[in-house]
Amino acid sequence: MLRLSGFVDIRWGEQIDVFSGSEHESDAAEFDTRGITFSASRSG
Amino acid sequence: MADSVTPARVDRALLREQVQQKYHDVASEPDKGFHFHTGRPLAAMLDYDPADVDWLPPTAVESFAGTGNPLSLGRLPSGATVLDLGCGAGFDTLLTARQVGQSGRVIAVDMTEAMVEKTRAGAGALGLQNVDVRLGYTEELPVESASVDVVISNGVINLCPDKRAVMEEIHRVLKPGGRIQIADIVVLQPVPQEAKDDIDLWSG
Repeated sequence: MLRLSGFVDIRWGEQIDVFSGSEHESDAAEFDTRGITFSASRSG
Repeated sequence: MADSVTPARVDRALLREQVQQKYHDVASEPDKGFHFHTGRPLAAMLDYDPADVDWLPPTAVESFAGTGNPLSLGRLPSGATVLDLGCGAGFDTLLTARQVGQSGRVIAVDMTEAMVEKTRAGAGALGLQNVDVRLGYTEELPVESASVDVVISNGVINLCPDKRAVMEEIHRVLKPGGRIQIADIVVLQPVPQEAKDDIDLWSG
């Protein structure tokens, strides 16, 4: 999707289990839900 | 982010209304308890520098509801114009305003009025003159085309049913060569269509 929207140089950062210990933990675990970070650039 | 995503069949107006109500509560009753983490414990979990958190007004910290740290992806250049997409109570907005300095500017957009008010109040409390807070939607940004150097966002795009439209809108406002630094949520297992279409699962 990022590429189709015109982004290049896509870089993925850390993944974190951001729902761990929250009320939403079991629902999040069912779909292996993660917090992620990423960066990219708009093609020139 | 996958190249092909089956869109959710949700009532978008209703979803916006429910998400606005949820985040109105996060803004106005931050200690109420939510299905996601909030506030200072969340900031610690996401590895924000405690000194940065201490610098922020308590109103920005108490209603923080991000999913990562977009500022960890690279220092924002002095003088840059940065858009904070879905700024919430201003946690990342205010840290960004400090990074880009007086020659830079942060445009902070959120669709929840209570969050917009908290971000404005936070900028005022810190005496920041380079924060421009606007009420608006991620799919229809109140921002001029090709006017922004960097777009940051934290835990917002997952709440939008049409993610492609959001990414195209981000592309529109960025200058050529501009970049994005985003924290959000992904699901690594396939989500059944009936779950995607269940509006209650979107806003919790």
